[in-house]
Amino acid sequence: MKPANFDYHAPQTLAEAVELMVRLEEEGVDAKILAGGQSLMPMLAMRVARPEVLVDLGRIKSLDYVRQEGGVIAVGAMTSKRAAEESVLIEQQQPLFHAATKLVGHRQIRNRGSVGGSFAHADPASEYPAVALVLDMAFKAVGPEGERTIPATDFFVTYMTTSLESTEVLTEVRLPIMPAGTGWAIQEFARRNGDLALAGVAMTLKVADGVCADARLAAFGVNATAVRLTAAEDFLAGKRPERAMLEQAAALAAGSLDEPMSCVHASADYRRHLIRVLAERCLAEAVGRAA
Amino acid sequence: MTTKQRICVTVNGVRHEREVEPRLTLADFLRHELALGGTHVGCEHGICGVCTVMIDGRSARSCIALAVQADGCQVTTVEGLRDRATGHLHPIQQAFVEAHGLQCGFCTPGFMMTTLELLTENAEPSDEAIKEALGGNLCRCTGYEAIIASVRLAAQRLREQKNA
Amino acid sequence: MAIKIPTLPEQLPAAKPRFVGKEVKRVEDPGLVSGSAEFIDNLSLPGMLHCAILRSPHPHARVAKVDTRAAEALPGVIAVLTGEDVRRWSNPAYTAPEGWGAYCIAVDKVRFVGEPVAAVAAVSRYVAEEALELIEVEYDVLKPVPTPAVAMAANAPVLFEQHGGNVIQSRVYNWGEVDRVFAEADHVVQNTFRWNRVGANPTETFGCICQWDLSDNSLTCRGSYQTPRFWAMARALALNLPTNKVRVISHPMGGGFGGKGGPRGTDIAALLSRKSGGRPVKYIEDRMEYLLAGFGQSWDRYYDAALAVKADGTVTGLKVKLIDDQGAGTEGWGTISVAKPLAAFTGSYRIEAAQYDTVLVATNRAPTGPYRGYGPPPHFLVLESLMDMAARKLDIDPAELRRRNYIRPEQFPYTIPSGNEYDSGNYEAVLDKVLAMSDYRGLRESQARWRAEGRLIGIGVVSTVEPGVFDWNAYATVGVQGIGVPEGAKLAFDMLGSLTVVVGFNLQGQGQFTVAAQVAADYWGLDLSAVKVASAPTDIGPPSFGQGGSRLGVAITGAVLGACEKLKAIFCQVVAHLMQTTPDQVELMDGRLRLKANPQVGMSLAEVAGTMLGRSDLLPPGMEPCPEATFVWTAEGRNMPDDQGRCRSYLTAANATHVVMVEIDRDTGCTEILKYFIVDDCGTRLNLANVEGQLQGALAQGVGAALYEEYVYNDEAQPLVTTFVDYLMPTIHEVPMATKDFVITPSPVAPLGAKGCGEGAIHTTPAAVLCAINDALAPLGVEITETPASPHRVWKTLRQAREG
Repeated sequence: MKPANFDYHAPQTLAEAVELMVRLEEEGVDAKILAGGQSLMPMLAMRVARPEVLVDLGRIKSLDYVRQEGGVIAVGAMTSKRAAEESVLIEQQQPLFHAATKLVGHRQIRNRGSVGGSFAHADPASEYPAVALVLDMAFKAVGPEGERTIPATDFFVTYMTTSLESTEVLTEVRLPIMPAGTGWAIQEFARRNGDLALAGVAMTLKVADGVCADARLAAFGVNATAVRLTAAEDFLAGKRPERAMLEQAAALAAGSLDEPMSCVHASADYRRHLIRVLAERCLAEAVGRAA
Repeated sequence: MTTKQRICVTVNGVRHEREVEPRLTLADFLRHELALGGTHVGCEHGICGVCTVMIDGRSARSCIALAVQADGCQVTTVEGLRDRATGHLHPIQQAFVEAHGLQCGFCTPGFMMTTLELLTENAEPSDEAIKEALGGNLCRCTGYEAIIASVRLAAQRLREQKNA
Repeated sequence: MAIKIPTLPEQLPAAKPRFVGKEVKRVEDPGLVSGSAEFIDNLSLPGMLHCAILRSPHPHARVAKVDTRAAEALPGVIAVLTGEDVRRWSNPAYTAPEGWGAYCIAVDKVRFVGEPVAAVAAVSRYVAEEALELIEVEYDVLKPVPTPAVAMAANAPVLFEQHGGNVIQSRVYNWGEVDRVFAEADHVVQNTFRWNRVGANPTETFGCICQWDLSDNSLTCRGSYQTPRFWAMARALALNLPTNKVRVISHPMGGGFGGKGGPRGTDIAALLSRKSGGRPVKYIEDRMEYLLAGFGQSWDRYYDAALAVKADGTVTGLKVKLIDDQGAGTEGWGTISVAKPLAAFTGSYRIEAAQYDTVLVATNRAPTGPYRGYGPPPHFLVLESLMDMAARKLDIDPAELRRRNYIRPEQFPYTIPSGNEYDSGNYEAVLDKVLAMSDYRGLRESQARWRAEGRLIGIGVVSTVEPGVFDWNAYATVGVQGIGVPEGAKLAFDMLGSLTVVVGFNLQGQGQFTVAAQVAADYWGLDLSAVKVASAPTDIGPPSFGQGGSRLGVAITGAVLGACEKLKAIFCQVVAHLMQTTPDQVELMDGRLRLKANPQVGMSLAEVAGTMLGRSDLLPPGMEPCPEATFVWTAEGRNMPDDQGRCRSYLTAANATHVVMVEIDRDTGCTEILKYFIVDDCGTRLNLANVEGQLQGALAQGVGAALYEEYVYNDEAQPLVTTFVDYLMPTIHEVPMATKDFVITPSPVAPLGAKGCGEGAIHTTPAAVLCAINDALAPLGVEITETPASPHRVWKTLRQAREG
């Protein structure tokens, strides 16, 4: 199908973009931000989304960067996933984010898809929001009131909804540099290579004095948003990273989930089961990586 | 009534200035505005990869890009592969012919554009790297085996060309 | 003059054929890799309008009112078509059996989600789609019929009122003494199977540009047409046009595989052209339309089948009960897929008796269409699964069980119980080759080792027969008429000896232009690149069917050779006359007409053709100055079916055995194909790369059907799989690269000994993969008998094993 009609603006600066969003809001116009378009455009093509106006951030050069700021890697929201994938800084200092980036779709999607877009779009099957929760990422947004920083825990509200105001633009995502010796893993189950995940787990943990510490696990693809698996995290604290313990943790992780979604490819039961399997596998992998 | 946008897109080295509706996809712009029909449309929702072109040197699905987003960009399509001076097929095109990497040919331009990107980055890709690169392009005719062989052959030819 | 078509490449008038049977570059390819091939959506005509179709959101409803005024008023909209127009100007689709078709736009009721209810022609597709949103339709929703069970229940809603019920056809075929062999069997293995809807999904969807000429009441349709002449005839009947006033110009197609919708789209575009004063109207079906309503759905089946087996492993009888969900009518010719299995009902085996109990049912799902294989792929899944069950029961290796039951080489031509005659074969040689190539014993050893480690490893060894070169009589029992599938070719030399081969079809990917060129080039001693192949529109081209039923490679070879033989005879007459001898003293060899007694003396093709066209004074009296010949080929020896549908239908029988090794992930239910081996025998291989391409491509579709693809409907007959997000086409990652080899057992009855091979692997792969999966699951006492064997399905089955 062809997209329904819309008006289009391509502001050259962030200030222009915000001003525009404010004006459109005041006029009661339904406007959507266009970043890479890899998620939004298919929705327009299927006519499941019909915004009256698209605001294209693609001309704003100031939102494309990857740089270290102290203990954090700051990534401009319009940085392509491709650039994030190729960033040596990210690969070395935040390998979980690097791995998650590589799992996204196919190269064409990563070429044009923006880092910020997946967070703002908040598709429940997306890897990035789960990683945000695990890493306790922070998000910078700029609106008419100025800039604010939103922690990951406050960012994802529900199905495809974030706490960004309709007049705000996500400008930066901030990845904590991974401390040395941290174990991490991300695994997902999809029907085909590159498909949206039916279920996935992302995690980090440390092993200190022979026991697990600071386990942080999140599931994606199963509920309206990515969710922390705190039952498993609490269980793991102080436990030896042995198979039996990891299996129990994984079972707790799966058991603690709110009723998962169901679709033609996977029932709620199956998704819950997949989380257990993936959690087990991720735990083994992460423990293997932990120094 | 939406406002048309004036855009300037360079396609295969040739500059084009047009006024377009914002919702015009890049695929439709190339195919119908510029009569470059070699880029095909298979699903129009960004999955099959049949519409793959290069935008500023990166492979992209043109059915989910807007023509207005390509303003100021360099776009390469299958029509730009052939050597302009001699008329000879590009080594990638030639390799697909020799290794039988096509049957109906509808998905082939998309595969060749992705191949162009791959071989620009990686002159000697392993079969794994080839599969990783081509995972976003669907073919219904060949079962992919001859496509992999074509990419290998193209890589070899380009290396030979470079060494010569 | 009796034309004798060569039945082996050695019989061609060439000392050493350079092209037939060799590795050649395809003549089609340069245009395709340049992007200059004119697929239909690349063509624009002056004044052309664009069509968009409004489709029903309801599976079953009366159409109470259609208000198009707002749409008509939208700037850029030129014409709007409704059921009223269509009722006035056209007829419901012709179907087999008769009376189960509908108008191209719903007239009184809609019977499936996606059925057209109105259509718009506007200055762009974008505007046309805007206009659709302005059309108001009032529906009186009716209770939907989502499945055959509901369709056949008492008081079920009826789709086609004139029939009073939803059973399209119910018929039992009995071949041989089925009851006796089952009574005398030492074992009967029985099972039920569910094959879910899958479909062709070529990368190019259907498209056409139709132009109605109001001045002489004629119609030209250009488009992605697989069988153009058949189309032209059907459009004429549907649109009340004289049959010689419809011209179909087939464009190169981006794949077809049978399931490329088009009748409704064509008729709608044609009538919009009529309504817009004769402007050309382009309709490009988009992917979502294709998935909903584009003949892209096939094989929605419920099987209950059994095998009668003796203690020594001899399989004596096969019973198959099939309930086939045809969807909302048979306009897509989905009924043929129920009849076609007759052509190879008992597969590779000497099974002496069989029964086929078929019920074809109408439901509110989309009407099914043709898909590569056209019926046998699910049938072979059933047969081969039963063979494996028998093997397990008797504790015989599945490869060995097949070997014991194969038709023996000396038994050909072999008439199977359902009546078709297999031309030739050497099934044991194929089996031996694939078992050796795959190191079958080694595979079983690996399986045992890995099983001991707790892994779920399975091996499938599956054999099938691919019936090739179809004829209509195979489908007589579902109401299809006629015998003979004419395929014509015209060969024409010009004054300078350049050759053009005119055919009646266009490119679809299988390389038939190259095959035609190879045959002609070797016959006349020309370079491959010197032969031009041209596609003629239906009004001026030879009788032709086009691609379908694994026939065209063989049929066009027959047509080209027939024309070659005719032309050779004429050239020999010319040369004989000029050299004052008799035609039987002249022969063609390596591109020269020469005296048998003195081969140095002769004439080139250019000289002969040039003489014919430029020196009529030198020609024999009464000879036409015409270095051209047309030959129309169809398989000989076909006959009318008897009351059990038995007849000689498909001319050739190719054979293949696949060996596949899979591993099932216990935790996720995911199946990984570890190894895949194919040995096939399709007689003379006219073009090696073509055949290999058909095998690997059909393998990919078979993997799709076995593991990934499925059209899902809910209990309200609403389709849930409507985009490529959910219809899972295999990517490069999902398709195994099969190791292949072949055997050549030429056909004694087909041109150059070639057998039809275009459908090939899709007959075998789903059976091979499912048999391997069930081999993996056998130790757990569970099985999968539903396709696709998705991870979710397999996981549920594994859970039963744990709980059971």
